Amino acid sequence: MPLVVTLVARLLETMFVIGSIGSVAVLVLSGIEDLKTLLGREESEHS
Amino acid sequence: MLTFISYWRAAAIVLNDLASSAFYACGIAEQAIGKSAPWFIVGVMLFSFTVRAVYVESCSMFVRGGVYRVVKEALGGTLAKISVSALMFDYILTGPISGVSAGQYIAGLVNEVFITADAHGWIPRAVHNIFDGTPQLNVNWTSVILALAVTIYFWWENIKGIHESSEKALRVMQITTVMVVILLAWSAITVAKGGAQSVPLPTPENLHFTKESLGFLSHRFPGQSLPSLFGVLGILIAFGHSVLAMSGEESLAQVNRELAHPKLKNLKRAAIVIAIYSFVFTGLSALLSVMLIPDAVRVPVYKDNLIAGLAMYMWGPQILRLLFRGFVVVVGFLILSGAVNTAIIGSNGVLNRVSEDGVLADWFRFPHRRYGTSHRIINLIVLLQILTILASRGNVYVLGEAYAFGVIWSFTFNSLAMLVLRFKYKGIRGWKVPPNITIGGYEIPLGLLSVFLVLLATALINLFTKSVATVAGVSFAIVFFLIFTVSERVNRKKFALAEQQMKDHFQLLQRDTVERDALNIRAGNVLVPVRDYNTLAHLRWALERINTTDQDVVVMSARVSRFGAGAYDLAMEQIFSDYEQTLFTRAVSVAESFGKHVSLLVVPATDVWSAIVQTAHNLDSSEVVAGLSSKMTPPEQAFELGRAWESIPEPKGQFVLQIVRPGNTVDTFRIGPHTPTMKNEDVILLHRLWLNITREQGLEKVHHHDIMTEALTRFARDYGAGRDREEIIKELRRTAADSGITLPRRIADQIQTVQPEPTRSNPDTKPKKS
Repeated sequence: MPLVVTLVARLLETMFVIGSIGSVAVLVLSGIEDLKTLLGREESEHS
Repeated sequence: MLTFISYWRAAAIVLNDLASSAFYACGIAEQAIGKSAPWFIVGVMLFSFTVRAVYVESCSMFVRGGVYRVVKEALGGTLAKISVSALMFDYILTGPISGVSAGQYIAGLVNEVFITADAHGWIPRAVHNIFDGTPQLNVNWTSVILALAVTIYFWWENIKGIHESSEKALRVMQITTVMVVILLAWSAITVAKGGAQSVPLPTPENLHFTKESLGFLSHRFPGQSLPSLFGVLGILIAFGHSVLAMSGEESLAQVNRELAHPKLKNLKRAAIVIAIYSFVFTGLSALLSVMLIPDAVRVPVYKDNLIAGLAMYMWGPQILRLLFRGFVVVVGFLILSGAVNTAIIGSNGVLNRVSEDGVLADWFRFPHRRYGTSHRIINLIVLLQILTILASRGNVYVLGEAYAFGVIWSFTFNSLAMLVLRFKYKGIRGWKVPPNITIGGYEIPLGLLSVFLVLLATALINLFTKSVATVAGVSFAIVFFLIFTVSERVNRKKFALAEQQMKDHFQLLQRDTVERDALNIRAGNVLVPVRDYNTLAHLRWALERINTTDQDVVVMSARVSRFGAGAYDLAMEQIFSDYEQTLFTRAVSVAESFGKHVSLLVVPATDVWSAIVQTAHNLDSSEVVAGLSSKMTPPEQAFELGRAWESIPEPKGQFVLQIVRPGNTVDTFRIGPHTPTMKNEDVILLHRLWLNITREQGLEKVHHHDIMTEALTRFARDYGAGRDREEIIKELRRTAADSGITLPRRIADQIQTVQPEPTRSNPDTKPKKS
């Protein structure tokens, strides 16, 4: 397989894996905020 | 001046688009990647929570200008034009895929009914002979015909200026929820009774790509298994084939401006409802369809109407399953045809905004002579949708692949713009995607960066694996890019000229609210709403009879941006565009022909009635002089205005509405509580009652109005206590019918009876005055 194709493939894989790990953090943190919003415990309109 | 909606209604509008993906996303994904597709759909739905977070941040930025301006600010003109092209591709494809998918469900049901009827011997022999067996519709072509019919229907509704009803969206979602609850509960019973097959885990070895689903890569690596070659890349390819499950998320930005206070909180609440609902519906129905529908029929028979197939493999008698399938088809038709409408409205909104941004020639936005809608844009959108439907020949898979291109690239550009704006835009933000870490005084948006990386990786891999989508999407983007580029150049020249003319003729003042003192207008003024510069007869009528030295005349144009107009408010020069300039130039020349002065006002609004009433209220107008609507009778116009009047908060003043018909005949209505016009026989009856009562001992000094007070108090008691309520209503209906007066007329006269959605004045309202 040509080197360029392998490099592009690895780059996309790396982006996807790193992005997915970070997205899990977004999911968890925004999920906690969502819970607070649903329970009406959010403090202010603007941060 | 906006009519605001609750977060439930906002969520319903978005879900009408987003949840419709559940009807086709898993079928398309399974054809592309195999039986483990539902896990990828679940993964995409979880990831959609993070995309939703990006849209919440985007909507919470207090910036003005359309989507093009905001992306241009972040990424520059070229990428902004490409971004808008991708968004348009997404919106335009939403219509055809939804319409064709609705057709697939209907045609599938009709064929199933024929098969069942034939099995019971209910099909006559002659019919059997004509069709050479069981009558069957050609599913794809039937879908094309139905999709065309739905698209043409909504084209005409949008040309007429359909009122986007959040009520309708809410009802559709309520019916859909009933279906989802039955679907999940019945599936649980089915699994408990007869078990279910397992869904292969989303690992590279469980992925089965077809030649089509590898696109350009299939030529590069013929006969080789990419998942085994690359591992994670296979997962990424599969993820890319499943992203259309979250299509519709972009509608969140379109409803943002209509959300009631507290805006950000309600936006977040709406986003939560949307995310949870779509996860449960799309994610779980995808899993259940693979668990319950046998492999032998799932893709071959039900690939384009998977939820209908799921209904047919529930536990229970066949007639019940067939009935439920009928219900699924009805719900599918409602939600999918709603998505066709949302697609037209959304595309129209985006192109209107792009035109306001100066990237599309004003010619496109020229209002329809009769209905005042941007008919040229609507015609263009629907023409492209019809061509797409015909080109697809009813193939949902091809449409889905192309649609995914628009979806993923519009999400990618939006997240990239938000990422760049974190560094470039230092204005107020209501909310930021977490987590963010600060190193050396610099905030690193880790969350936003992560979401962008996943989107970009998916968008790039889709370029290689979705050959049809890449060719179609890139061609479409190039055509739109060229249109935008040429339009922008033409507009830039025109704008320089217009700017000079505006400086010469109009002095623009910008205000966030309409205030009489700030605009230097006296109380008791006359408000004259104008829309079409060819129909200013009512302005002439008003100027003929008003002495402007005693009473001010305010000419008002409501700059209506309907649902789908975009996440951002209009900038000043966008509100006072070429069209308003021409309109006001004509209005001023009419005033000059009478030698009288008029004040000019542009009010941004989502609802023209609310804009007129709110402006009349804020300016303490005593009179509103309007022209005759092309769509409504004068009583209906008065009814709409009265309804808007009811929804503004107390204290509020009354005013007289004069509707000037062609030929200068005028219909007059009082808006607000007023002494009703009494019929002669009612006056005689009142007088007769008064004569009799004053003969009673101790009641000699009773007045006519005392009798009225007593009669009304008794009426209110009987009506309010519910004792004779039904009888009173029946009587009133009879009276209304006898007098031959239509209901709107009566309500317009007695304006108190309507309870519409609450309306508030928008703090971002920006009038301008010359």
